[in-house]
Amino acid sequence: MVISFATCGLIGKTAKVAIWQPFFAILILWTAMALFKTIPNQNLLVTRVAHLFGLQLWWWVLLISSLLGGFVAAISGICGYHFRKAVLVKKATA
Amino acid sequence: MRNKLKASICIIIPILLAFGLNTKFGDLPPLLKFLNPFTGFWQNAEQVNFPKTNKIVLKGTQDKVEVAFDDRMIPHIFAQNDHDVYYAQGYITAMHRLWQMDFQTRYAAGRLSEVVGKKAIELDRYQRRMGMVYGAENSLAGMMADPKSRRMIMAYTDGINAYIHSLSKSQYPLEYKLLDFSPEDWTPLKCALLLKQMSAVLAMGSTEFYMTNILKKFGPEITANLFPDYPIKEDPIIPAGTKWNFKPLAIPQPPLLFTEMTTGTVRTKELEEGIGSNNWAVSGAKTASGYPILANDPHLNLTLPSIWYQLQLHSPGLNAYGVSLPGAPGIIIGFNDRIAWGVTNVAADVLDYYQIEFKDNSHKQYKYDHQWKNTSTRLEKIKIRGGGTEIDTVIYTHQGPVVYFQKPEKLKMADNVPIGHALRWIAHERSNELMTFYYLNRGKNYEDYRKALTHYTAPAQNFVFASADNDIAITANGKFPLKWKEQGKFILDGTNPKNDWQGWIPANQNPAVKNPERNFVSSANQSSTDQTYPYYINWEFAPYERGKRINDKLKVMTKATADSMRIMQSDSYSILAQDLLPALLAKIDLAKLNATQKEAFNLSGKWDKFFAADAIGASIFDLWTKRLFYNIWDDEFTIANIPMRYPSRDRTLALILKEPGSKWFDNINTPAKETLNDLVNEAFKYSCDSLERKYGPIGKNWAWANIKQTHVPHLANLPGFGSKTLMTGGARSTINALSESNGPSWRMVVELGKTPIGHGVYPGGQSGNPGSPFYDNMISTWADGKLYDLYLMSSANDDKAKVISHLTISK
Repeated sequence: MVISFATCGLIGKTAKVAIWQPFFAILILWTAMALFKTIPNQNLLVTRVAHLFGLQLWWWVLLISSLLGGFVAAISGICGYHFRKAVLVKKATA
Repeated sequence: MRNKLKASICIIIPILLAFGLNTKFGDLPPLLKFLNPFTGFWQNAEQVNFPKTNKIVLKGTQDKVEVAFDDRMIPHIFAQNDHDVYYAQGYITAMHRLWQMDFQTRYAAGRLSEVVGKKAIELDRYQRRMGMVYGAENSLAGMMADPKSRRMIMAYTDGINAYIHSLSKSQYPLEYKLLDFSPEDWTPLKCALLLKQMSAVLAMGSTEFYMTNILKKFGPEITANLFPDYPIKEDPIIPAGTKWNFKPLAIPQPPLLFTEMTTGTVRTKELEEGIGSNNWAVSGAKTASGYPILANDPHLNLTLPSIWYQLQLHSPGLNAYGVSLPGAPGIIIGFNDRIAWGVTNVAADVLDYYQIEFKDNSHKQYKYDHQWKNTSTRLEKIKIRGGGTEIDTVIYTHQGPVVYFQKPEKLKMADNVPIGHALRWIAHERSNELMTFYYLNRGKNYEDYRKALTHYTAPAQNFVFASADNDIAITANGKFPLKWKEQGKFILDGTNPKNDWQGWIPANQNPAVKNPERNFVSSANQSSTDQTYPYYINWEFAPYERGKRINDKLKVMTKATADSMRIMQSDSYSILAQDLLPALLAKIDLAKLNATQKEAFNLSGKWDKFFAADAIGASIFDLWTKRLFYNIWDDEFTIANIPMRYPSRDRTLALILKEPGSKWFDNINTPAKETLNDLVNEAFKYSCDSLERKYGPIGKNWAWANIKQTHVPHLANLPGFGSKTLMTGGARSTINALSESNGPSWRMVVELGKTPIGHGVYPGGQSGNPGSPFYDNMISTWADGKLYDLYLMSSANDDKAKVISHLTISK
């Protein structure tokens, strides 16, 4: 979260990029990591966790995890971007 | 200004988001933290394929330790000395069961509010006020006083802590992430707390509050008639007629009858037959091998992770295999190369309530022996998550804590606690049970077994024993208070010193038998002895049916093998049905039954009295007898504000079979005069109707397994983390005493001989991690009534064992 805030704050080119880049970065990263963990486990645990949350299928948990991670990253990204803009504008007017 | 605002909003939003998604709200875990694949639950997904070899360095060890994990993930620990063997036991047990160990001891210590918040506060207060921590502290002093048990407990504790310190946050067991807390350091007190919790499970039952209310309502004559001090049908543990070869101590004199009693203000709960167990051993004269065979199946609440953890411990002078309790060093039930041992609960009366007469409301003084005596106070500090610390002051008399001055509103387990009374409980005594297991684990013969038992205090157990020397034995063992007859059946007057516990039954006079003529010993929680035993242990034990069935089978058994024992352990024949069903069927008025009821009647007549998974007769009989007992007793024994209990099953059976004209059959709440026949017929129709309402037309859906719904829930009842419903037979009053989620928590059969052969299973798996393939892998074998071979490895590289992974621990 801090990373996407900082990177977008430093190098984010446009608002769009500052949302979507961190979103997909985390989405892909988290999906990959989750799969890396759950496949050798034959999805034993994630199936139990799915039942815990009242879901029928395990990949719902994967989807929710990755989307939530991506969403938070995206929000951080856009906030980072606007933060920089706000600070820069302030400097320019000063 | 606008930009400043914008900039701060841009900072606040991510911070709020981070905070919101990483904080626990109510029962919801901190979502982002929990779902993050780098730190959250995904990290607990264990690989199905395990690494074959592993090496770790643990500075706390003194020498090299080798651990071989077999194909069920059971560790076989090979150490060079006692310190290392218990150190490794602690480390490995924590590796598999850390959260369970933590949770169970927090529960025992009344510290659940610390992690789940205010909702556990009544439970925490109850645990503290019953003196669980007080008792654990006393026990710990006993354990620390002996250098052997001190070394054992310290090494075990250090091993657990070595594991805890090796963990990063992402490696915490799953439940920590769900409930959002962190493991804390293990302490020796936690080992003591765990053992106290076993005492609470097995020896905290008490009916004296109910019995006192009954005495007050019905008078001594009826009370003695309906609640006799010895069952009508019995087949005691120590065979009837066994001679007592000791000179008993003088029994203390009882005071004049104490009848000024108080009554409470809560409703009673129906007493259910709770936790029991079976064990037996047959001598070589009855087996195919010519050596004894021993069997044990302790019945407890079934949970995942399982209450038991299997392992082999090997160090110089020690080579034992069996089950341990996660949180206590050593092996509790098991065998070594010479002997085997097992336990069932004695159900001795080792918990009494004393009515206390306080001088005034300050509770600073109470009357005892015509004088005012000072109380002491103990402050219980209960930390509450998100709510500061509550200080609960508990008043202690010389008997023990005064549990309640005010009844908690929403705590069912406190129903049988009378208000303003002091609790005297064996588990508050200084004790050192660990030494019993220390010596049993290393025992070689009968003498070693007897010596080991002298160290044991509570919860009292029937220790069954068999050895390669062809000795078999059983001892109802524990520290039993020396009591006058019926002392503690009712609430005691705390002002009279004659009501105190006045010494102990000498350990070598506890009920015991070695190599009896019948060539077998057995126990199933029934009465320890016949009525010639000179001491009073309790007035009521578990009903006789399981014990009777075991003894009937063992009496006629010849050329027994391990398989004969295995089949017996899953025997579901009901002696209760044998005793009761023909009499009940004879009373049914066929003309008044509808079609379903007629069909049910036919099926009941044909039923072979086995509580098999597919038996419909079993479902009908179970509900029918429950309803009948309710019909007989509820009108008299359920009265608002006067908690009471029903007479026993044994007494009810005698009433039905031998006293058909008894006044108790009349329902006092109706003007008509009901007879036994009326009640039997009503109960039968009621059972059929309610089965039909709930399960549809009579047929497959009425099968016993479908009614019983056996399953193994998660320890904290998390959905998805328990087992599915198991379609399996067995019932409370049968050898396979398996009810909804209570029953054989470990089944073991050991064939003694030159090299012992063990067999066993428990309903769970070695790992406590729901993300492990070893979380519940043994359940189906258990449900099928099968056992695994328990192989006593000779070294970590024994090639006869199916080893899947080696762990080498070096200094």
